[in-house]
Amino acid sequence: MIRVERLTKWYGPVLALDRIDLNVERGRIVGFLGPNGAGKTTAIRILTGFLPAGSGRASINGHDVFSDSMAVRSSIGYLPESTPLYPEMRVDEQLHYFGKLHGLSRTQRRKRITELNDACGLTNIIRRPIGQLSKGNRQRVGLAQALVHDPPVLILDEPTVGMDPAQIASVRQFISDLGQKKTVLLSTHILPEAERTCNQVVIITGGKIVADGTPEQLKASVRSRARVRVEVKANPLAVKQALEPVEGVAGVTTTADHGWCTALIDMTQKNDENDALRERLAKTVTEHGWPLRSLGFEGGSLEEFFIEITSRQASAVA
Amino acid sequence: MKNTLHIAQRDLSGFFLSPIAYVVMFFYLLLAGILFTRIQFDPLRPAELRVFFNYNLWLMIIITPALSMRLMSEELRSGTVEPLMTAPVTDTAVIVGKWLGAMGFFAVMLLPTVTYVFVIMIWANPDPGPIASGYVGTLLAGGVYLAIGLLASVLTRNQVIAFIASVFIILLFTVVPFFVSRELPALAGAMAYINIFRHCEDFAKGLIDASDLLYFLTGIAMFLAFAVKALESRKWR
Repeated sequence: MIRVERLTKWYGPVLALDRIDLNVERGRIVGFLGPNGAGKTTAIRILTGFLPAGSGRASINGHDVFSDSMAVRSSIGYLPESTPLYPEMRVDEQLHYFGKLHGLSRTQRRKRITELNDACGLTNIIRRPIGQLSKGNRQRVGLAQALVHDPPVLILDEPTVGMDPAQIASVRQFISDLGQKKTVLLSTHILPEAERTCNQVVIITGGKIVADGTPEQLKASVRSRARVRVEVKANPLAVKQALEPVEGVAGVTTTADHGWCTALIDMTQKNDENDALRERLAKTVTEHGWPLRSLGFEGGSLEEFFIEITSRQASAVA
Repeated sequence: MKNTLHIAQRDLSGFFLSPIAYVVMFFYLLLAGILFTRIQFDPLRPAELRVFFNYNLWLMIIITPALSMRLMSEELRSGTVEPLMTAPVTDTAVIVGKWLGAMGFFAVMLLPTVTYVFVIMIWANPDPGPIASGYVGTLLAGGVYLAIGLLASVLTRNQVIAFIASVFIILLFTVVPFFVSRELPALAGAMAYINIFRHCEDFAKGLIDASDLLYFLTGIAMFLAFAVKALESRKWR
């Protein structure tokens, strides 16, 4: 549905997108994650035809973004980052205007706006001037505007920004429902949001895609990095020699700090038996009579993976 | 084509929903009224609107940029350009639509001045021909002014800069040629040709000359084409 190959974009001397590849199948909800300034909005603007790319190819719904822009524009519904709307217009006027620009007849527009009224919860605000609406309500209007021509692909740039938790939950549900029939690409920097709504997560940082997979896959790759951390007061070398033979230990790295030794222990088995491993490690430590400060399981959340992977990229760039 | 009209319709109604447009209209009609009662409406003058039409062109130098300044600048500033330019509309449809919307409001603003004709009719018998052609000339000159203003509005997200830039460009095609031809008589012919005022004189006299028509239509087309190119170039900057 969305196909991107080696997409590159320079802003003057600044490389905003570095050979991005992306493939989204029909009916997927894809979370586009990354820290601020990672290139999410740039990539989205290129896909919607608002910005040209430096090089590379992109197509949506089989239409090339650069040579067949009008067909692409008709097949996407786009909610830009700050939800720009005409403040002097009323909600229904705004929706009718965009319906007209998408070539809908009056009866089609009326029918569609009535549907969106219920779906996006606009009933109470439909005749209000947009300038008077709260951020969350504006966001609903923007979402309805993106959906007015019933596009097969939806591109939403930070759809839940400025909403209260209840509104976020309802929009999240709404997007999940949309995912039944449509392909959705949504950008966010809120991790739990992507984790719950999306069935594919793409992490972009410094203009590069650093991870692409289902939330489960990404979490599994985090778990594979999980380790046990032990802090004891002992000689690092002795600690290494003592802990390495313990059953279930794949490797030990030690660092010394003011007489204390921190040992990070990689495990042979990924998930289970961690408790047993920790028990065995504790036993080994007490057998040697070393003062123990802490012993714990480390890593595991998608959040840590995200922070690790994005900060690693940042330091590599610096 | 249809989208051009949809955009024109939205921008025209946008004028009626914006306080600036009413302020501009108020001051325009105030000044036009003074112009008419103090200069045109005089027992020693013939029963016509020729003087009004000529002075009106001066008034429009500051009035029309105040209408056109927000056309694109406001969209660029507020970001509404993004949903607009990602809807299936061409750049040409956006520019022509906005220009038509502004022309619509300009015509509405001009409409109350038609009452001056009735005022003259109380005392005299004005010739309807030159008055009608005078309005045609005024609309055409306004069309050039608004196309220039729209070009300036595409180039900046700041309405004040758009206003100043369009006044400046309009002066290049109205007042500046007078001074240039005085300083450089060799260029007098060319300067007379590019001067918008000169081309309006015939219309105010009641003369619709094909060369004047061509001048205005190419002028409008040229500045709108520049505006389309400027809007396209925004993508490549």
